[in-house]
Amino acid sequence: MPRYAMVIDLQRCVGCGSCSISCRNENNVSEGIYWSHKITETSGTFPNVRYHYIPTLCNHCTNAPCAQGCPTNAMHKLDNGITMHDPKKCIGCRYCMINCPYGVIYFNWKDAHPSWRGNKAVIQGATSSPAEEVRKVGGNGTPYYNPERDETLPGIRPKGVVEKCTFCDHRLKRDKLPSCVESCPADARIFGDLDDPQSQVNQLLGKFRPFRLKEALGTEPAVFYIRDFSAAGYPRTKGGI
Amino acid sequence: MKRQLWIGILVAGILLGLWTTFKVYTAGFTVYAKTDVLVWTLPLSTYIFLSLTSAGLAFVSSIPVVFGIKRYEAIEKRTVYLEIAVLLGSFVCLILHLGAPLKVVYILLSPNPSSPLWWLAVLYMVYFVLLVAAFWRIHTGKMSRALGTLVFLIAIFTSTTLGWLLGMTDARPSLNASFFSFYFPLTGFASGLAALILFCILDEELSGQERSEGHTVLYNEAARLMGITAGMVLVLFLWRTISGGISSTAIEYGAFRHMIGSIPYNIEFWLGLVVPTVLMLIPSIRATAWGKLTASALLLVGMFAGRLEFVLSGVVRPLGQMAEGRPEIVSYIPTVYEVLVALFGLSVMLLIYTLGERYLKLEAVPE
Ligand code: SF4
Ligand code: SF4
Repeated sequence: MPRYAMVIDLQRCVGCGSCSISCRNENNVSEGIYWSHKITETSGTFPNVRYHYIPTLCNHCTNAPCAQGCPTNAMHKLDNGITMHDPKKCIGCRYCMINCPYGVIYFNWKDAHPSWRGNKAVIQGATSSPAEEVRKVGGNGTPYYNPERDETLPGIRPKGVVEKCTFCDHRLKRDKLPSCVESCPADARIFGDLDDPQSQVNQLLGKFRPFRLKEALGTEPAVFYIRDFSAAGYPRTKGGI
Repeated sequence: MKRQLWIGILVAGILLGLWTTFKVYTAGFTVYAKTDVLVWTLPLSTYIFLSLTSAGLAFVSSIPVVFGIKRYEAIEKRTVYLEIAVLLGSFVCLILHLGAPLKVVYILLSPNPSSPLWWLAVLYMVYFVLLVAAFWRIHTGKMSRALGTLVFLIAIFTSTTLGWLLGMTDARPSLNASFFSFYFPLTGFASGLAALILFCILDEELSGQERSEGHTVLYNEAARLMGITAGMVLVLFLWRTISGGISSTAIEYGAFRHMIGSIPYNIEFWLGLVVPTVLMLIPSIRATAWGKLTASALLLVGMFAGRLEFVLSGVVRPLGQMAEGRPEIVSYIPTVYEVLVALFGLSVMLLIYTLGERYLKLEAVPE
């Protein structure tokens, strides 16, 4: 059984957001919910400032507090390391959201894809309403609905339960990489098996000094970050007083 | 006439609550003051307030059976019934907090014993059954030492498990100070005593009954105990403020530091703890019915605000990617619907109590 992990190379990442867009399409993610997201930071003091961009997703922590605290095992660990969610069993207590240190779990406060539910056409008699548009193309919730998501999880999650990234477990089952990895134009996301010493993931982890988010909490994330992007140089100096 | 008006008000509260329930399940949870950050708010804090008050009442009702202090038998039946009413009120708030309450059956079908929430759910089920059984025994004129002891134990387990539940949240240290497993039962005891004093004295005042000598002694003693407990809570509360809010440099405590200046915090501190403690430490005020009523009512208001302060101190600071594009601290004002959920829970509790008062002879003393 593999133990899946992802390395994100911050030097390669150009901050284009393709990962987030493809994730939305692949997983039918509703508005306001982000299975794939980012943390942006500005460091320094003007005029010496820099902007940092860290892509984020569920870290599929080995010691996942979200799964440990879930009363019904709706949030649970799979043998391959994925932290999976089963909306059928989810009572919507949001305890996992309280326990996750990374803010990657979202609650469905309302029915998914509200903007595609509207019955009002922009121009009466000329354009379709969003709901008509969905019906016309045979979509489900959205016109661009991906039925493959249904294989392991309801394609659209109902109101009242939580949801989050699943490392595209439905794609992995078909020997395909997660959608965000596949769509990254800079190959900044590298996916593989931590238990295979020869995997690209392990090669990179051995070559660079990786870090993980909030490591001190002991959650043992399976998402690693390597390198940093900075084209800047500076003249050699010892500083001064 | 007065009773009918009172019942009318409570029924109105319940009808509004049912309307809120309809809105929540049709329009969605957006009727709450939610953002993805504020996932636990007033409905949950009201649940915590009521469930801990129920546990506190259980400590009081167990005094005769567990500690052998027989004079508390005089109020045992009323206390146990109040526990049931308060617990049912708390369940109403909990149900309206949960996104998919019908699926709670999975707590039994797919148990996760590593989850404190699972334990809490199971304990509450057992607790409720035991309470009903205990009340039935008392109602039929008997006492059960075994049942009383079990209720006492379960009340300890539920209130301390709540401490574990929040203690697990390493990412939110405002919630997880380890002393909460002690703080919750103690504050529950304070609010349980306050609820009991309030209900007993109000009942007697409103029905115009002559207060017996025994009851006067009992209420004075309970009031003193409430004052002492409120004082102990006050000390812990101050230490929580000093260690987590003032001396800690950890940024994660920013949420709690923010709450120190908030309205709920100040209601809890001044109205809920300082004033009742002072009132109950002055013997001449403690001896009066209005003194006891004021102190217990204020303590309950303070505890209600305190539970909200506590819950918010865990959630107002967004974590990880949730912080993206958000301020460091997210502000919170409850929506009308959230207030209605709290009123729904309180109305259910008060109606059940009022009906019990009318039909179940709560003043009866078991043999
Ligand atoms: S990142 Fe959060 S949701 Fe994902 S496994 Fe870790 S604790 Fe759970
Ligand atoms: S919200 Fe659902 S997944 Fe999260 S802890 Fe509750 S039951 Fe488990």
